[in-house]
Amino acid sequence: MSLLFRLVVYVPVLFLIAIVVVGQHHTTARDTLRAAVARTGRWLLWSLVLVVTMLVLELLFIGW
Amino acid sequence: MATGTSTNPMRGLGWGPFLLGFVPGLLQFQLGQKKRAAVAFASCFVLFFAGWILIHERLFYWALLTPDETGSEVLRIAAHFGLPLTLPEILNLPANALGAIVCFDGSALGERLWRMPRAFDHLGGFLTGASGMLAAFWSAAAHWELRLLRDGGETAPKPPCNPALCAGMSWLVPGLGHARAGQKDKGMLMGVAVAIVFALGLAFSHGHAVDRATYSVWWIGQNLFGGGSLFAALVTGPLRMEGAPPNLDLGVVLCTVAGLMNLVVMVDAYTVAERSVFPLKQRQEPVA
Repeated sequence: MSLLFRLVVYVPVLFLIAIVVVGQHHTTARDTLRAAVARTGRWLLWSLVLVVTMLVLELLFIGW
Repeated sequence: MATGTSTNPMRGLGWGPFLLGFVPGLLQFQLGQKKRAAVAFASCFVLFFAGWILIHERLFYWALLTPDETGSEVLRIAAHFGLPLTLPEILNLPANALGAIVCFDGSALGERLWRMPRAFDHLGGFLTGASGMLAAFWSAAAHWELRLLRDGGETAPKPPCNPALCAGMSWLVPGLGHARAGQKDKGMLMGVAVAIVFALGLAFSHGHAVDRATYSVWWIGQNLFGGGSLFAALVTGPLRMEGAPPNLDLGVVLCTVAGLMNLVVMVDAYTVAERSVFPLKQRQEPVA
């Protein structure tokens, strides 16, 4: 599976999950959407940190 | 809005009502709602046996812990007495137990029968599963009544819709419970989010992601979106698989994620209706 395909699926699905998660703390669709965008950005950063950490671990324990 | 009583409204109702909730209608009976108790019991029973007619002992093949001959003795004895751990059917305990007592056979021949596909596998599996979900919603409805009795007092206002009904509606159509509870646009947004993820899962798997016979553990999560799993049981489930689609695993995961997302939607729909009677207390700013 190419990296592009993974991103094309991962990012929108992450956004849709964020809508449901942050929706619990808001009463209108507009507020929910705004908060979901911010939450998706934050989750993407955490995803990046996770991927980099795993790559570093791979490098350390398995090598190139 | 209900005013405060001496009881902490965040406190649960305890183990008693939780365990009694496994027998549909029992809590309603305790509350003195005899007609409603009979309807709860009958509806769960009829739904279970409507599915049971189609699948019979095939249901045991989908149990979380398969009580086969090589397995634990305790499990096999429990299964003979009507307790095979099949989710969500276990939530409708009496019907599930009766089905097992009538025809559980842990022998090699019995196991062969579990594995044998049936003509309407998908629909039968959905119906028995739906009986478990319905039992859970009846239990939630009774818990709501108990909560009203405990915390609401005599002056408690009526919610726009019974919270358990809101949750049940969201199980079939995500977001519908929010619409009934007064948050229509947010409900639509959440519902569309769930439906898109589920549809993506079906598309990636060419319709084969939701199949209780093949992915029975994943199906437990997928069934939390009842409308989606009903669609799959009727339309995509019976499709013949010519070859494994390249992204089948992705599809299975996405449909399960959609089900879990809908669990959040159902709980939120319940909470939205609940808060119209028991609103959250405003956090008080500390005095300088």
